[in-house]
Amino acid sequence: METFFIWLESSTLSLWVRGESGAHMAFPIIIVFHALGMGFLVGVAIAINGRILGVAPKIPLTLLKNFIPVAVLAFVVNAVSGILLLIGYPTKALTNPVFYIKLLCIALALWNLSWFNKAVLTNPNYDQGDLPIRLKQLAAASTILWACAIVAGRLLAYTYTTIMTF
Amino acid sequence: MLREISDWLESTRLSDWFISQGVWSWPMSESLHFMGLCLLIGSVGLVDLRMLGMAKGISVEAIHKLIPFGVGGFLLNVTTGTLFVFGDADQYIFNDSFRFKLVFLLIAGINVLFFYSTGFQKVKALGPDDDMPLNVKVMAGISLACWIGVICAGRLITFYRP
Repeated sequence: METFFIWLESSTLSLWVRGESGAHMAFPIIIVFHALGMGFLVGVAIAINGRILGVAPKIPLTLLKNFIPVAVLAFVVNAVSGILLLIGYPTKALTNPVFYIKLLCIALALWNLSWFNKAVLTNPNYDQGDLPIRLKQLAAASTILWACAIVAGRLLAYTYTTIMTF
Repeated sequence: MLREISDWLESTRLSDWFISQGVWSWPMSESLHFMGLCLLIGSVGLVDLRMLGMAKGISVEAIHKLIPFGVGGFLLNVTTGTLFVFGDADQYIFNDSFRFKLVFLLIAGINVLFFYSTGFQKVKALGPDDDMPLNVKVMAGISLACWIGVICAGRLITFYRP
């Protein structure tokens, strides 16, 4: 593992992400994109969750599907920026258990969102009126998962034990 | 002048209280600040996108019911943001990125006042498939751009520490 960390951390791309190749703004700009992507991905997800929980009941649920491309774009932005940050500081992330908790929360929340997109946002029976309690429980659980992902993500800056192997 | 303001902020009881809450109070407040950001984008951001023409079929009246959650997120962020500024005033008062963030917030604030005093009454009554008048689209674009600006400048604060 150490050999892998050293190889990755000494790569050109890793040096670029850390701003050690002269591109001092690379790291801040990647971080900014990661925050923006978070806002739009989690924003769309919790709006859908809120609607399922009974917020803004006059919004036809199927029409919230129109915002899914925003969430997909935001996810792509965050996958790319996240991978770049990981390439910049692999030891820092991969030796921290909190990083795996963050990934697990995101994976479960995304799995839930894609299921909502496929099975709930396509069902016109759900456009009006109260939704089944099972869907509401899932929406609540998903909102908690996004909150946990945010906390875990923020804690990465405070809980790491080793920054670099290289 | 700024020196005095910064010193005063850090001499307040609020500043002492926040710092004395232990090492986890800062990261937890930051996490809440991020959650507030998501609430804001998930409500105000989506309303802006609807005004700009996305998700036609949803009436302004229906989607506007999301706004209280954005206001809640904003208040959460004003609260946590105030704690940051009082807790470590130097880092913000002398920080160019923080100044940009305040400018974006100010423009967003003026824009929202304009929207509710001129545009909202007209578009509230529009049908679910209607296109928004140009002035409302402009205001929605300014709003979205300002909140994106707030996020960018906010996230960059840490890289412009004095």
